[in-house]
Amino acid sequence: MVHHIEQNEGNGHLGTKGLVFDIQRYAIHDGPGIRTLVFVKGCPLHCPWCCNPESISRFPELAYFKKRCIGCGKCVEVCPHGAISFSQDEGFVADRDKCQACGECAKVCPPKARVISGTAYSVDDVLRVVERDRPFYRRSGGGLTVSGGEVLLQHEFVRELLEEAHRRLLHTAIETSGYGPWQNLEAIVAHTDYVFMDVKHMDSERHRQVVGVSNEIILQNARRVSELVAEEPSRRELVIRIPVIPDFNDSESNIRATAAFVREEVRSARKIELLAYHRLGESKWERIGKQCPTRGLEPPTKDKMDVLRRIVEDAGLDCQVRR
Amino acid sequence: MSAMPAQVLFDRTQRLNARLRAVKPEICLERARLVTESYKQTEGEPMILRRAKALHHVLNNMSVYILEDELIVGKQAGKHRAAPLFPETEAIYLEKEIDIFPQRHTDRLLISPEDRRELLEEILPYWKDKCTETLLMKRLPEHLRAAWLGDEHGIFHPEIHVRGSLGHIVPDFERILKEGFAAQMNKAKEKLAAISPYDPEAPSKRQFYEAVIITCDAVIDFARRYSEKAREMARAETRPQRRRELEKIAEVCAWVPANPARDFWEALQSYWFTLLICYIEQNGLAVSSGRFDQYMYPYYRKDIEEGRLTREEAQELLEACWVIHTEIMRAYDLACAKYFSGFAIAMDMDLGGVDKNGKDATNELSYMCLEADKKINNPQPNLSVRIHDACPDEFLLKAIEVVREAGGGMGGGKPAFYCDEVIVPLLVNDGVPLEKARNYVIVGCVEPASPGDTLGMTNACMSNLAKALELALNDGRCRLCGKQFGPRTGDPRKFKDFNEVLQAFEAQVAWYVSNMIETLNLIQNVHQEVYPLPYFSVVLGGCIEAGKDCTRGGARFNYTGPQGVGLADTADSLAAIKTLVFDEKRMTMAELLEALDRDFEGREDLRQILLNHAPKYGNDIDEVDLLARYVGHVYCREVKKGRDPRGGHYRPGLYAVSANVPLGLNVGALPSGRRARTPLADGGVSVKHGMDVNGPSAAMRSVAKIDHEEATNGTLLNQRYNPTALNTLEDRKKLADLIRTYFALGGLHVQFNCIDAGTLRKAKANPEEYRGLLVRVAGYSAFFVELDDSVQDDIINRTEYMEVR
Repeated sequence: MVHHIEQNEGNGHLGTKGLVFDIQRYAIHDGPGIRTLVFVKGCPLHCPWCCNPESISRFPELAYFKKRCIGCGKCVEVCPHGAISFSQDEGFVADRDKCQACGECAKVCPPKARVISGTAYSVDDVLRVVERDRPFYRRSGGGLTVSGGEVLLQHEFVRELLEEAHRRLLHTAIETSGYGPWQNLEAIVAHTDYVFMDVKHMDSERHRQVVGVSNEIILQNARRVSELVAEEPSRRELVIRIPVIPDFNDSESNIRATAAFVREEVRSARKIELLAYHRLGESKWERIGKQCPTRGLEPPTKDKMDVLRRIVEDAGLDCQVRR
Repeated sequence: MSAMPAQVLFDRTQRLNARLRAVKPEICLERARLVTESYKQTEGEPMILRRAKALHHVLNNMSVYILEDELIVGKQAGKHRAAPLFPETEAIYLEKEIDIFPQRHTDRLLISPEDRRELLEEILPYWKDKCTETLLMKRLPEHLRAAWLGDEHGIFHPEIHVRGSLGHIVPDFERILKEGFAAQMNKAKEKLAAISPYDPEAPSKRQFYEAVIITCDAVIDFARRYSEKAREMARAETRPQRRRELEKIAEVCAWVPANPARDFWEALQSYWFTLLICYIEQNGLAVSSGRFDQYMYPYYRKDIEEGRLTREEAQELLEACWVIHTEIMRAYDLACAKYFSGFAIAMDMDLGGVDKNGKDATNELSYMCLEADKKINNPQPNLSVRIHDACPDEFLLKAIEVVREAGGGMGGGKPAFYCDEVIVPLLVNDGVPLEKARNYVIVGCVEPASPGDTLGMTNACMSNLAKALELALNDGRCRLCGKQFGPRTGDPRKFKDFNEVLQAFEAQVAWYVSNMIETLNLIQNVHQEVYPLPYFSVVLGGCIEAGKDCTRGGARFNYTGPQGVGLADTADSLAAIKTLVFDEKRMTMAELLEALDRDFEGREDLRQILLNHAPKYGNDIDEVDLLARYVGHVYCREVKKGRDPRGGHYRPGLYAVSANVPLGLNVGALPSGRRARTPLADGGVSVKHGMDVNGPSAAMRSVAKIDHEEATNGTLLNQRYNPTALNTLEDRKKLADLIRTYFALGGLHVQFNCIDAGTLRKAKANPEEYRGLLVRVAGYSAFFVELDDSVQDDIINRTEYMEVR
């Protein structure tokens, strides 16, 4: 695969440009008030349950919405790399090795069955969209939330974005896995009013096996963010999120251990949110030519989530279940 | 009333509601029979006296009955929740459609073979050459016939007042409760005595006042009959509790509505008689309740303060009154049943809002009404809440709870939210004094008016803006049947720029609106001639003072309000032409028109380009949103040129009720990518189904770009909302903020249809209309229609589970 933005390799940003795969307005579950959610592309972890798998690669990629396709074949005609072919059995197939995500097919595709996931945005480009809902933020205490992907992979862009947002008096939030160098996270958090941080598993080895990296950096960053928040508790808030994944981290002992860690070492976290695994990402994997690793995995039941919620509450922490 | 445990109290409401919902609606001949008898006896007399005597005859002879558990009494027909008939306007379609009523899909009504025979052989023959429809057809000039009926795919639809009376008022409840009907009769008597023989209008005034006196007398007698009925039932009643209730009903009905209401029970009963008789005098819809929580509050408060009533007892009475609203039934013709389906009576009731001094007027009763509606969850009353900047959050949040409850029930889309800061200046600019404007009411669907003294004919007509664009793109010919229909505005293939498209569109709108105005005025002339409304004239402020029936301009404020429908389809179509034909030149006009002629057959690729590669209204994109504003403006500008025969002016509205479906049947394929004969965008200023892919805040910003203050007859925004996003208080606060911000941006009205499992199933089967349906989960972004079938089923099941929780 030849990437058309070589300079993106390494730190995942284009000067002051960032790679964004979606901007969602009226987000109501990602921070206070009514918010605009900016999804940046690229993630150092590879969680098999990921519900935004198009966020993993740090490069633009072609997504194909098979349900929308009307079979007109325009994509085959225009592809400069001969990457798309038609076969009776499989319909229109893109050869992902030949595809350079140039977007020529997306431009002509009548139903937009082919779209490029990942567009270069300047800070101004993003804020132009974000600003449109300013009247809604004003009343609700909302603002901008940057999610991913992993914000730390495009830390310079994200920092500039948050800094500029702050300069324009917008409330800011981030959602992060916490995996990355502390100085980068620190620079981002400096311009963040509300931090969501994941703690996926307390067992480092198990964390490494499933997610691809061990949890030490993450736990350490959680402690440090907590200290930072503690310095100015009226300015900033921290929420720890646990994605509850069956057969991975949903044991009572792991949740108990996580709650204990948060209570003892991440003291400024105002609550823990338990995000129940959901199947909504399944369809997205296929779209970008990948297999969904958790296909068939059943979401945790309401009862199960209630049990886990009580464990967190018993540890003396506020807990919210989202499912 | 004796104190009872709360549980027992609430059981009454549930029993009343269960019985109401179990009724299989029938047709009732009683009224038709009595009106016909009366008319036969009054041949040759002045029409207003014939109308008054007919009402008197009906009210004096129709069945009176009180059902088990009822506390507030009064029925519109001989059978529970049956539809009375009004041959004065309905004769033609009743004869044609009588055998369809029991079979049709919408608003089915049963009729017995004996009743069918009597109707066809004894009642309708008398009316066939006298009913409003016959008279109008005899008076309709050729050019209007051509514009309205000359084509099976007509562009405007005034049938509602051809086959029905005017309706669409809010009676002056405050005055009636305070003074009673006896006082109205006395006013008429005094006026009658004071008529100067030199007054050139003396004969008509004399007739009018005599009609008012007969009418008031009829109303008082009607209540007296209920009082006697209750007394008689009490004597036979063995259960002491029910006997006391019946005795109380007998006392109440002996006093009101003849006399001033003295307590909450009497006020409720007086209110109900006043409203009910509006639906017995005439068959027009949307006779509305107005600011119920305001004019009812003094009676409630006095009872509570003086210890005559507990809050629980008041709630029970209120709920007993609430349930009976849904008893009002109409036997619409098939066409109207489609335009206003679900026996939609549009009996609006307003809660909250500012008082005449501009201060918040929300009171305890406002909350009790919301509570009653949340529990009863029926189509009527059609609940509206008035929101303003200083309105308590608690009230708004309570109203949002009702939205959530209404999701799976019969009352979906309730309550509607209105913005005082938009509506008050709108009315003031339209000539209503400030204090009255602040005290505005909603009539029917969304139409704002001064309370108790307006005959606004606010749902005069539904008209088709998308059809006007079709004509503009086809040199005035209908795309479905090819008939030359509108004026010739040129072959669009020869249009040199986009501006010529707009010119052709404006010419078509101007042509049809002018014909619509003349037609509506002719219809009003027919009503003046054969369907004056003496009872309306008693309950509407201004008529007794003026000595003039309300159909002749007796009410203080007079308007005619026709609606423009298809704004989103028209704007999206214009944007597609501008972007793809003129700006980007991705297709030629000839290519586009050929595809439209073929309803895109063989050109799905082109349809997909139109759908996906041109901006769509509802996504906060100025380019297309400003075209929507333009379409609304062109319509409003043309309508405002009209004057009506009651001395009023025309008020344009941008709302559709359910007319977007039948109007869509008349429109061929459109450049928006919409296929021929499919529904137009619902609501009025709502976004085309599925096209708002940026969520509700973006959609609301788009809709707020339309000049709502210009559409003085009201605008309607339907917004889909996921009830799972209303589970917690935090979620509900966010919806409250969404609503308040929409209003701050200039929105007039919004209502929410909760996405239930049924909606999701439709979305799964028909993704194009539901593209914007977002799945809202923390940290996740996707649209419902893009998910795998099995995941969609999962969500449907979960939603269903939630509904039955």
